[in-house]
Amino acid sequence: MRGRRLKRQETARERGRDGALALALALAIASALGATLAVAVIEAGTPAIPDEHAHAASGRPAASTPITDASLYNLDSAWRDGTGEERRLASLAGRVQLVSMVYTHCAHTCPRVLADMKRIEARLGADGAEVGFVLISLDPERDTPERLREFAASVGLDPHRWTLLTGRPADVREVAAVLGVSYRPDGETEIAHTNLIAVLDGAGEIRHRQLGLGGELAETVAAVRSALGRTE
Amino acid sequence: MTPTLLLLAIAALGPSPLAATAGGLAHAPRVPHAVKSPRALEAAHGGQPDRATDPVGGSAFAAMVRIPAGRFTPLFGSTDGEVAVSAFRLDRHPVTVAEFAAFVEAYPAWRRGKVKRVFADEGYLRGWHEDLDPGFAGPDDARRPVTDVSWFAARAYCEARGARLPTLDEWEFAAAASEDRPDAFRDAEFNQRLLELYTRPRPQAPVVGTTFENWYGVHDLHGVVWEWVEDFTSVLLSGAGREDAAGTDRKLFCAAGSVGATDTGNYAAFLRYAFRAKLRGAYTGARMGFRCAADA
Repeated sequence: MRGRRLKRQETARERGRDGALALALALAIASALGATLAVAVIEAGTPAIPDEHAHAASGRPAASTPITDASLYNLDSAWRDGTGEERRLASLAGRVQLVSMVYTHCAHTCPRVLADMKRIEARLGADGAEVGFVLISLDPERDTPERLREFAASVGLDPHRWTLLTGRPADVREVAAVLGVSYRPDGETEIAHTNLIAVLDGAGEIRHRQLGLGGELAETVAAVRSALGRTE
Repeated sequence: MTPTLLLLAIAALGPSPLAATAGGLAHAPRVPHAVKSPRALEAAHGGQPDRATDPVGGSAFAAMVRIPAGRFTPLFGSTDGEVAVSAFRLDRHPVTVAEFAAFVEAYPAWRRGKVKRVFADEGYLRGWHEDLDPGFAGPDDARRPVTDVSWFAARAYCEARGARLPTLDEWEFAAAASEDRPDAFRDAEFNQRLLELYTRPRPQAPVVGTTFENWYGVHDLHGVVWEWVEDFTSVLLSGAGREDAAGTDRKLFCAAGSVGATDTGNYAAFLRYAFRAKLRGAYTGARMGFRCAADA
């Protein structure tokens, strides 16, 4: 009897010791990883991600916004953004997003898509602060995270509002299949593609699709406001 | 070698797709008897590939045929010319209702009652009685092509087999074959036959394997069901949708302009590309099915 009781106590102590070791190990690993990440960020030269976006950067959606069955964010693919960090599309939830599929060395119409998105941003005024802008690369081979970051800086995209993503070709195809974007190689370096700006609500459902360039933006602006829960 | 001798040498090798394209002949010479079709080679070896050694065969699923590498000119391609297609394997016929029923039994996420709307629209498996019951009216129904399935669902099915959807080029390459030749896409007679197949009204799709078997040993590529391909998103046609009414083609598409058709006689291909250009990943249709492919 006594022997058995002693044994149980010993086991509990052992467990306690094991637990402490495990914790210590976990902390060591976490700090090592943290250090690695810090070094990577410093080397990358990107500004620190503000706290309000920390949840997005970690890949977790905003706690208050469920993803519905029709949401683009049901795609579970892994992407990387301009910081090189891995992102899931679900990290975009909780915020109205304007999404387009472009590529950084596109000389023809992609700059105009960007211009349209910036015009929409301007037209939204104060509401624009609540909206995110997402560019998904059609050319993941050339558009590395580094390239995305350079591009964003070169065209003046506010990293607090703009997310640039690069991923596997099959995953790009899935996003295009949901959004309704067609694209194919055109010669050695170009990609012919439809020009689309999609408005996604906080749950990731498509509320509006603007096809073509330089057209009347009022409908898209209205769709964004509606997704924000505002009336004109 | 002088040009004349070179031409004679090429002629001696027999007609090639390149020669046919260059000539634009409506009645290209038939492939000589010495060249055996994959289907003939297989028949010589006693029938279907050994399912035990065919990783995508399986007892529940149709065996695939191996389609040898080649070149062809897609109707709408990135360039105006030929593309090379690596050897690949393709299902002999579309996936059947029975096969898809087995799949959704094994993978509940793909049942009609459970599938997420982003992956399949309201028409998904529309005709089925219940999630697991296709509602066969007769013994043939199990062997008809499954329809009302989305691209996402088709991909999931193929993936579950360790296979994939065919690419657009692979599908078109296989479909360019008649019974007698791999490159019948410029044969006016063949094109006319196809057009009749495509436009003939049918109350329902036929049992798989009952339409003509082509050069490669593949059935049902024409006039049975429209079939999903992996990269349907690569079809970019000017005037493809109502949406471009607001602007010109140049505004709608990034690039110097979409490439035009390479062969105006290939009506069936026109229909296929036009159909593909309007698709989205969640779409389902009463005449839309699929078959799987695999790397060779």
